[in-house]
Amino acid sequence: MDLGNKIKKYYKEAELYNSHGLLNEALEKYKSIDGLVKSTRNIRNREGILKQIALKIELTSKKLQKLDGVKATPEVAEDAQSLMKEMYTFDDPEAKGSSALGGAIALAKFGQYDKAIEELNRLLEYDKLRLEAAKNILWCWVQQNYTDYAVSLYQKWRKNKLFPPEEVDSIQAYFTELIDSAGGDHEIDELESQRTVEPDSEIDDDEILDISAVRFVLPRGPKEGEKIELEISFQSGKYIRMIIPRKEKDLIDSINPGDLLKEIVFYSPVAIFSGEGYVSSKNEIDAGPKKADYSLEIKIIKIVS
Amino acid sequence: MAVINLKNRQIECKLVFYGPGRSGKTTNLEYIHKAFKKQVAGKMISIDTEGDRTLFFDFLPLGLGKIKGCDVRVQLYTVPGQVKYKATRQLVLKGVDGIVFVADSLAVRREKNMVSLKDLHENLLKMGLSIRKIPLVLQYNKRDLEKQGLPVMSLKKMDHELNRQLKVPSFTASALSGEGVGNTLNQALKLTLQSLQNEFKWAQ
Ligand SMILES: Nc1nc2c(ncn2[C@@H]2O[C@H](COP(=O)(O)OP(=O)(O)OP(=O)(O)O)[C@@H](O)[C@H]2O)c(=O)[nH]1
Ligand SMILES: [Mg+2]
Repeated sequence: MDLGNKIKKYYKEAELYNSHGLLNEALEKYKSIDGLVKSTRNIRNREGILKQIALKIELTSKKLQKLDGVKATPEVAEDAQSLMKEMYTFDDPEAKGSSALGGAIALAKFGQYDKAIEELNRLLEYDKLRLEAAKNILWCWVQQNYTDYAVSLYQKWRKNKLFPPEEVDSIQAYFTELIDSAGGDHEIDELESQRTVEPDSEIDDDEILDISAVRFVLPRGPKEGEKIELEISFQSGKYIRMIIPRKEKDLIDSINPGDLLKEIVFYSPVAIFSGEGYVSSKNEIDAGPKKADYSLEIKIIKIVS
Repeated sequence: MAVINLKNRQIECKLVFYGPGRSGKTTNLEYIHKAFKKQVAGKMISIDTEGDRTLFFDFLPLGLGKIKGCDVRVQLYTVPGQVKYKATRQLVLKGVDGIVFVADSLAVRREKNMVSLKDLHENLLKMGLSIRKIPLVLQYNKRDLEKQGLPVMSLKKMDHELNRQLKVPSFTASALSGEGVGNTLNQALKLTLQSLQNEFKWAQ
């Protein structure tokens, strides 16, 4: 085959691989063409071909990189989530209620952590399902690298005596192994201190802009799921404080210390960005003009974008 | 794990399309969705990322009507072919009754076909199933590319490399135009229902 035809043939192949999403194969073929052309002097439109191939190589490499960066477990639409659950509802038909549990666990395994935790939280109310639901909630948090939060949750459960004595050992053993395998030095037995462990913040105080307001979804209570916007009354580095007027009773009940807010939008005079925060305190103000209003403090843990 | 209700005379079974990334599993389902409208019993659900790669699975429910006095429903699933999604493939395989292995005829995908078949074997083993016992058919897809002068493996070679030991029914196909898709599906269903018959004696 003469060189011109060979190049044409290779090019056709590379383009097909590209269109099928076989990007590595396409890239390799483009590179062979590049090699062929470079090693030959007397070829028509040599510079033009080289330029075009270089562009193809660049574009294909970019596509590859982009695909590599795709999050492995994105949130999917609701109909897909219910299907994930259904796929597992035949799990162990003997055990009562286990299909709901099987479904929630399937969601967790598919990486639909938020939805899974939401459902597992509901299952905590059933005596028969509590232990498994709790284990899976802890698993979900650890999978998302919120081991600190998992620890504080576990401590809260123990403090509130969520588990009967015969289950305490089981969950303790499970959780110990879980955080061991996650690495890091987490102590789950500092129960005496009874402090909730706050997640570490990833940010330095001086990295943070002045924030004028925040918007987030209420995590619990009567207004669960509602979006609210609050003005910041005081900020010290990564700690921000806001006032909730006493008449907003429902709002006050919908957020508590220890809540993790996974999507906060921060408004600053110069930019809007989003991130995660941890409710570090909520107190009734006992003096001054704002007496009986509530002061809420959030620690910013992470800035996402 | 099929759901078989002998009293109401209903069967529901699960067929999974397996194979390496980009071999045409989703394209098979899309064609079935389009061409077998009468049998389609619900929405097709596809979850993919950029570049159309399947992320978790595709899903298509079919209703085949009455077969030997039983109302037969089939759930078709595809797995994500990319190597890194092994765990997801395991999840999707759970409860499988029959498998269509979609191999890519492109010569550049020769090894990927073999790796994927091995991956299927391992995943089945983990669930206590054997690739030699489960209803299985092979599909050699993208045959149309041969006519376009692209490097495609010969059927003999593919059969030798993928089916020498398994010796299961194999079909040529061009899923994009639909050629061979119906044949593949029919045979896979036939084997699956037969194997359920042997196990549960559902037919009258
Ligand atoms: N020419 C031709 N192209 C095909 C055929 N089957 C699939 N394709 C193309 O191959 C590419 C990949 O097809 P998909 O159906 O998305 O492959 P898949 O097996 O679902 O891939 P993953 O989801 O990544 O595992 C697409 O560009 C299809 O159009 C075929 O028979 N002939
Ligand atoms: Mg696919």
